Amino acid sequence: MENITISLFESGKDDISEVRVDGVIDTTTSGELESVIDSLLKRQRYGIIIDLAGVDYISSAGWGIFISRIKEVRSNNGDIKLANMVPNVFEIYELLEFDKVLRAYNSVDDARRDFHASAET
Amino acid sequence: MFNRPIKEINAEFLAEDKYLDSIQRTVEESCVAAGMKRSDIASVLVAIEEGASNIIRHAYLYEKGTIRLRIVIYKKMIVFSLIDFGRSFQPDEVDSLDLDRLVESGRKGGLGLYMIRKIMDSVEMISAAGRNELRMTKRIHPRSTDSVPLLARMSSLRVKFSFWTFLIVLVIVGGSYYYIDRQTSKRLYQHLDDTVLSLANTIAEQAGGYIINRRSDAEFDELIVSYLHSNAEFMRLVVLTDSNDNIIAHSEDIRYIRNKYQIPVHIDTTLIGKPQRFTYKNEHLRYVIVPIKAGDATVGKVHVAYSTASIKGQFTQARKKTAALTAVLILFGILGIYLLSNYFVSPIEKITRRVRRFASGDVSSELPLEGAEEFFEISRAFNELTARVSQDRENIVAREKMAKEIEVASQIQKTLMPHRLPDIPGLDVEAFYQAASVVSGDLYDIFQIDETHYCLTVADVSGKGVPASLVMSMLRTVVQIQSQQTKSSRDTLIRVYDYLQSNIPAGMFITIMLAIYDTSEHHLNFVSAGHNPMIYFHANKGEIVKLNPAGMPMGLPDSFSGSFESRLEEMDLTLHRGDFFLMFTDGITEARNRDGEQYGIDRLIAFMEKRLHYSANLTATGLSEQLIAELGDFSPLSGPADDITFILARVVDDTT
Repeated sequence: MENITISLFESGKDDISEVRVDGVIDTTTSGELESVIDSLLKRQRYGIIIDLAGVDYISSAGWGIFISRIKEVRSNNGDIKLANMVPNVFEIYELLEFDKVLRAYNSVDDARRDFHASAET
Repeated sequence: MFNRPIKEINAEFLAEDKYLDSIQRTVEESCVAAGMKRSDIASVLVAIEEGASNIIRHAYLYEKGTIRLRIVIYKKMIVFSLIDFGRSFQPDEVDSLDLDRLVESGRKGGLGLYMIRKIMDSVEMISAAGRNELRMTKRIHPRSTDSVPLLARMSSLRVKFSFWTFLIVLVIVGGSYYYIDRQTSKRLYQHLDDTVLSLANTIAEQAGGYIINRRSDAEFDELIVSYLHSNAEFMRLVVLTDSNDNIIAHSEDIRYIRNKYQIPVHIDTTLIGKPQRFTYKNEHLRYVIVPIKAGDATVGKVHVAYSTASIKGQFTQARKKTAALTAVLILFGILGIYLLSNYFVSPIEKITRRVRRFASGDVSSELPLEGAEEFFEISRAFNELTARVSQDRENIVAREKMAKEIEVASQIQKTLMPHRLPDIPGLDVEAFYQAASVVSGDLYDIFQIDETHYCLTVADVSGKGVPASLVMSMLRTVVQIQSQQTKSSRDTLIRVYDYLQSNIPAGMFITIMLAIYDTSEHHLNFVSAGHNPMIYFHANKGEIVKLNPAGMPMGLPDSFSGSFESRLEEMDLTLHRGDFFLMFTDGITEARNRDGEQYGIDRLIAFMEKRLHYSANLTATGLSEQLIAELGDFSPLSGPADDITFILARVVDDTT
């Protein structure tokens, strides 16, 4: 079976959490990512950047994690921002119109800047 | 459908998450073969995984089941069907899916179906008679990267070829045209010059006669005017002069007579009988001088100026003919080019088309062996390549089939071995089982028959794979059932034999050792159907013996086995504290070391003797660990060639 590696970087400075995922997010591996995100939400850390540079496949189980929690996160003035999607994943993200619901960035820094910008306004 | 299907692929998978990969691989191969775009394939794979995992989760609720995959490839689309026999979906829920509602609900359910709808061009769900089909259609947008430019390159080969050959033909034909044109013009000018020269000579001859006969001026004038008139189309001027260049006759005006003839500039009077260029009254003319002779003496000259304009008409006509001929030649040239380009390019195109089909997965059809030697060679080399690839593919299919069978067999086998050994009062029992490959032919079982009786068996089924596993499973069940009927191991095995004999596939046989242990009397009653002997350590005597009750393997043809019952002997042992007995399969005795030597029963006995003599308090677990280590040392690298299975028991208590 495919493997997944999840690394979590939490910054004390700006309350933004960066989740770096490597591998494939499908039915068998999504549980691990889901529990990482839920642990963030439980601690009321609502600024989340998902770094998808190392992910070449996301199934509905993976997308479902973001789609099902985005409402809760936004209602707490947070966001789930996706960064560094590879072309295969990005094409599906657009095809499925997830771009209407989730924001995508070319880099983690872009996503972070956007968090800071919206915090100032 | 508006097209005939090009290819249909059918496959069946167990409905488990771990087979999702295989399903996707099958789908991916088909999409590649159908010539689908990379990015489309990636999204189709997502949709297929959704469909398949929905079946596993919702249709079968993780229970056992199968997923059938049917892929039908048409020219412009590909239809994927996922078929299951579990619970059916509610189609009306599916129609109302939209992303906002999914986000609003904060649930994940339905996202998979939303994704399938988005990715596929049409989705149908057909449920009838316990069979659910999720039918998804995707249009094929061909890969733009490799197919089109290849075609462009091909046609440009034809274009290039045609262009260059056309250029060559044009140069040749144009050159010929130019040459013929020049020749024609030369011939026409020459002809005119000759005509004028002979006319001038005739005039000179007549004029010579006139001079001798001293004809009148009027007669001279008449002479030249008559010539001028009869050749008016090209003759412009005729002048007769005497030896002192005084005019005798002038075609322009009679009054010039007896005046000095002004020889036009650029005209060289020494050039006799040679045409010279001459411009007169703004007309480009030719000018020729011939002498008038009286006997041998030159008495005057004839000057004739003539126009070449009349040639132009003839020339144009001749040119028209040449042009027509040229045009016909070029036309033939083009036809030739077309035929030639076909001759050279179409075999290449044919080969290229075939190579493209090959690239997209068709490895079966062959190229016709035709065309020039080189094309013939290419075609043959390519056919050999496709044959090899198709052979490889068949091998892969066969290997996958075998892998699947092994998978199924090992699944069956997992259910065979006891999960937990029962605690047998007074006995310390250890069982070991190690398969040489995923599928083994060995079996052991230890179970309780009643309060005081336990059954211990070790068996070896010849053959491997699914059939052997099924026989083992049958054997285990039959032993468990038949042992309930009697406390005798011999009776039990005879009953097992009666049941199994007719159910064992031909060519497969079973050796088994079956022991029944009576806890109340510490009594071991056992039989062996052609199995390896039991090794028994008698603690009080301190000796080790092989106990091998007679018996024939099960599954031998009837002529042999008619005597199964009569040949089957049972043995009885009364056990005492400290005694050991070992039941095993031939994997132990037939284990080989690096020199190819077998471990053998003598080594086994010697090993046990040594261990049991030197350590009095050895447990079954301790001894079996040492035995395993011993076998590992004996054949260190190879691993077991056969399955290793044994039951080792130590008597711990005989005080009842």
